[in-house]
Amino acid sequence: MLSVEALKIRYGEVEAVRRVDLTVGSGEIIALVGANGAGKSSTLGAVAGLVPAASGKVVFDGVDITGLAPEAIARKGVALVPEGRRIFASLTVADNLRLGGAVHQPAAEARLREEEMLELFPILRRYHRVKGGNLSGGEQQMLAIARALMGKPRMILLDEPSLGLAPQLIDTVFDLIAELRRKGLTILLVEQNVALALEIADRAVVLANGEVVLAGTAKELASSDLVRQAYLGA
Amino acid sequence: MPSLYRLHRAALCAAVFGIAAISTASAEEIIIGAATAQTGGLAPYDQPALAGLRMSLDELNAKGGLGGKYTVKLLIKDTRSDTAQTATVAQELIDAGAKIMITPCDADPSISAGQLTQPLGIPTLTLCGSAPVLTGAVGDVMFGTYPADNVQATAVADFAVSEGKKKVFLLTSPDSTYTANLPEYFGKVFEKKGGAIVGRGTFSMGQPDFSAEITNIKGLADKPDLIMTAAYEPDFPAFIQQLRGAGVTIPVYGADAIGTPTIKALGKLVDGVVYTAAGYAEPGSKLEAFNAAFTKYAGHAPESTYEVNGYEIGLILDQAVKTAGSDDPKAIRDAIAGLKDFEGITGKITYAGTDRMPLRPVALMRYEGGEGKHVQTLIPDAADVPAP
Amino acid sequence: MIAQQIINAVSLGGVYALLALGLAIVFSIVGLINFAHGELMTLSGYALLASLVLGFPFPVAVLVAVSCGALAAVAMERIAFRPMRGASVTSLLLTSFAVSSLLKVVFQNGISARPQAVAMPGWMTGAFSFGDFTIGVGPSISIVVSALALIALEVFLRRSVTGTAMRAAAEDFDVVRLMGIPASRIIATAFLLSGLLAGLAAILWVAQRASVDPLMGFTPVLKAFIAAVVGGLGSLPGAVAGGFLLGIIEVLLQATLPGAIAPYRDAIVLSGVIAVLLVRPQGLIPAVRAQRS
Repeated sequence: MLSVEALKIRYGEVEAVRRVDLTVGSGEIIALVGANGAGKSSTLGAVAGLVPAASGKVVFDGVDITGLAPEAIARKGVALVPEGRRIFASLTVADNLRLGGAVHQPAAEARLREEEMLELFPILRRYHRVKGGNLSGGEQQMLAIARALMGKPRMILLDEPSLGLAPQLIDTVFDLIAELRRKGLTILLVEQNVALALEIADRAVVLANGEVVLAGTAKELASSDLVRQAYLGA
Repeated sequence: MPSLYRLHRAALCAAVFGIAAISTASAEEIIIGAATAQTGGLAPYDQPALAGLRMSLDELNAKGGLGGKYTVKLLIKDTRSDTAQTATVAQELIDAGAKIMITPCDADPSISAGQLTQPLGIPTLTLCGSAPVLTGAVGDVMFGTYPADNVQATAVADFAVSEGKKKVFLLTSPDSTYTANLPEYFGKVFEKKGGAIVGRGTFSMGQPDFSAEITNIKGLADKPDLIMTAAYEPDFPAFIQQLRGAGVTIPVYGADAIGTPTIKALGKLVDGVVYTAAGYAEPGSKLEAFNAAFTKYAGHAPESTYEVNGYEIGLILDQAVKTAGSDDPKAIRDAIAGLKDFEGITGKITYAGTDRMPLRPVALMRYEGGEGKHVQTLIPDAADVPAP
Repeated sequence: MIAQQIINAVSLGGVYALLALGLAIVFSIVGLINFAHGELMTLSGYALLASLVLGFPFPVAVLVAVSCGALAAVAMERIAFRPMRGASVTSLLLTSFAVSSLLKVVFQNGISARPQAVAMPGWMTGAFSFGDFTIGVGPSISIVVSALALIALEVFLRRSVTGTAMRAAAEDFDVVRLMGIPASRIIATAFLLSGLLAGLAAILWVAQRASVDPLMGFTPVLKAFIAAVVGGLGSLPGAVAGGFLLGIIEVLLQATLPGAIAPYRDAIVLSGVIAVLLVRPQGLIPAVRAQRS
């Protein structure tokens, strides 16, 4: 469904991503793991159109989307849940959700979709009229995911969903990711918590210094020595 | 390519007869530098005055130049209505060889230019700057040409007293010499002749909100029967609009700066407003003939008396060069300073015995039904004119 | 008399609020202080004059003038600022100065350096009287128009999707784009609104000053800038609060300062501004912005 080919990203003189190749099949969860600064978020940013690619290609559903504006990529059905959640703090939960689905469907459909989201995230129904900035970290993460789902994306890019959350909340979020996958959503997951990521993913790609150092099924990687030593602390 | 060929031959001639050619040119040509506002707030005053000056210089050049001898080359540079910029362009004009300097219609830029011309002895004339302090602030090269503020104010005060006005409110702005001092000169004459100043207010130039000041005027215990101000565009329209809008019908008098098409176009709003001019074109007068000639020259009628004032500057320079018999700036200066009862277009102009602000007639005008109507023309008694 | 001065203050404050809001809307979205905002006013002023000279009925002339301001703002963004998108704040600022100077010269050379008188309809310069107490029609219209414009804008920003997206974009523009909402739509709407506000303010401003001239936009944009900074740059409620505060302070000082100190009015106002900023460096009502590393 998504393929990233020979992607290179530069910030001025610094090469954040040297070469990344990966593919995500329909209905798969692919985990992109690696240390801080390995180029994971930059790769997601390039897929979503927020970060320009220096070279290489991003193809979604057979269409080259390299260099398209973020709004154009979003309209093709790719939704990014950015690192740090970045919900709109001064807007109510309702307005956050409303913006998420604003351009993807007629208003009546958007209202039905919102109702679905409120079913899926009961906490958001409770805080419907509360400003996003007043929610806790976990609630904001739920909101960020719900907001991304409002546009009925075919693929969702999750950037560090566990970051800064209490352990039991992390479980909730990952349960949710598993649930989304069961519903057929394609997911590209960036996660620093490698153990957790490998638990949920079908396949994984390990990045170091902007390059793919290892790729395979989650099972293979979980038992590889390199991964065990470098990321799982075993 | 005939033009190129001619150019080539001319260059050759210049090379061969180089020195001689240059010295003849300088003997017959006199450069007048005009540091005037083509843009900005002073442009509406400088431009008509400059148009008048150009017309007279064109006519004089057709008759052989100043004093029939010195062809005038007029160099014009834009001051953008900025005092510092005026000094810059004045310096450029001096460097280009100007022997006479023309400066904008306002004291501050004129003084900044005058400070450059004074040490060099270059006679400097303001187009229509009328602050009486202007010439003293620079020195003996600086000349006013328009009726001075204190002269205008005296004329208006004389008229107000003759109308039986008793109590005046003075509206001033500290932002320019003209707006700050002219109403105060009026106040001095008015008090001396038995009137009273019942209040004073101020405004900031360029800020159109007069509501607070107008509310103060309405609240005065001792109601004025006249408001005197030297506000002009764009402040005067704003003031009168809001004053009348607040239901205040007290007459408003001003001076020359509101004798413009813009103010006239305010129509009923300015009915009864009295202002001054350098002259009035009575049927059969020289001014009427000038207005016709100017219309032919410029393609439109004069907007005000700044055109004729500019034209008279040309006549004054012509007479001065004639008297001086040379193009020496110092001799020209002395000749201007000695002019007495010189017949201009609007009347007799005298510099002799003054501090270089001319004695000349002031016309009093009043707007009625969208037209400026002549009330009277007078030369105020020198004894009544307050000191600058 | 005190009541009248209060009306004067609110009336002036309302115009400043409209102007400051116009600056703040654009700033909140693209980080640009558009110093050519004043020239949008000038343009609307000339459009009003032209419409009146052509004999259009007054309401039509107002409509033409306000639309001209709005369209010119959109065109300005398209021609001058869009090619600069992503440039530094300084480059944008300089571009806006360049646009402002260019338009001034165009007005001066294309129309006239001289102010042109604008004859507002007679009823606008009248006054209501209640016994001793008179209120000018002008200030009353000014207050009503400012209030209606502020309410309409508030409803737009709260209720409509584009309005909500604009509030969101002020916080985090990239994420709004991730929602599939086109950046150019948000930016164009911001300029459109700022142009509408400039057009409305121009009508009120011209009604007060009875003339238009090429430089008339300078003072208001300066006031708007001060008001926007006092209120909290980029904060819309802040811009409104700053505008009213500035108007009220100016009128009250003008009304009460003794003659000898009156010339220092602007200096006193600006000192007050500095004092406010010392106590509240982010302004009265600071803008909400995403905290990002």
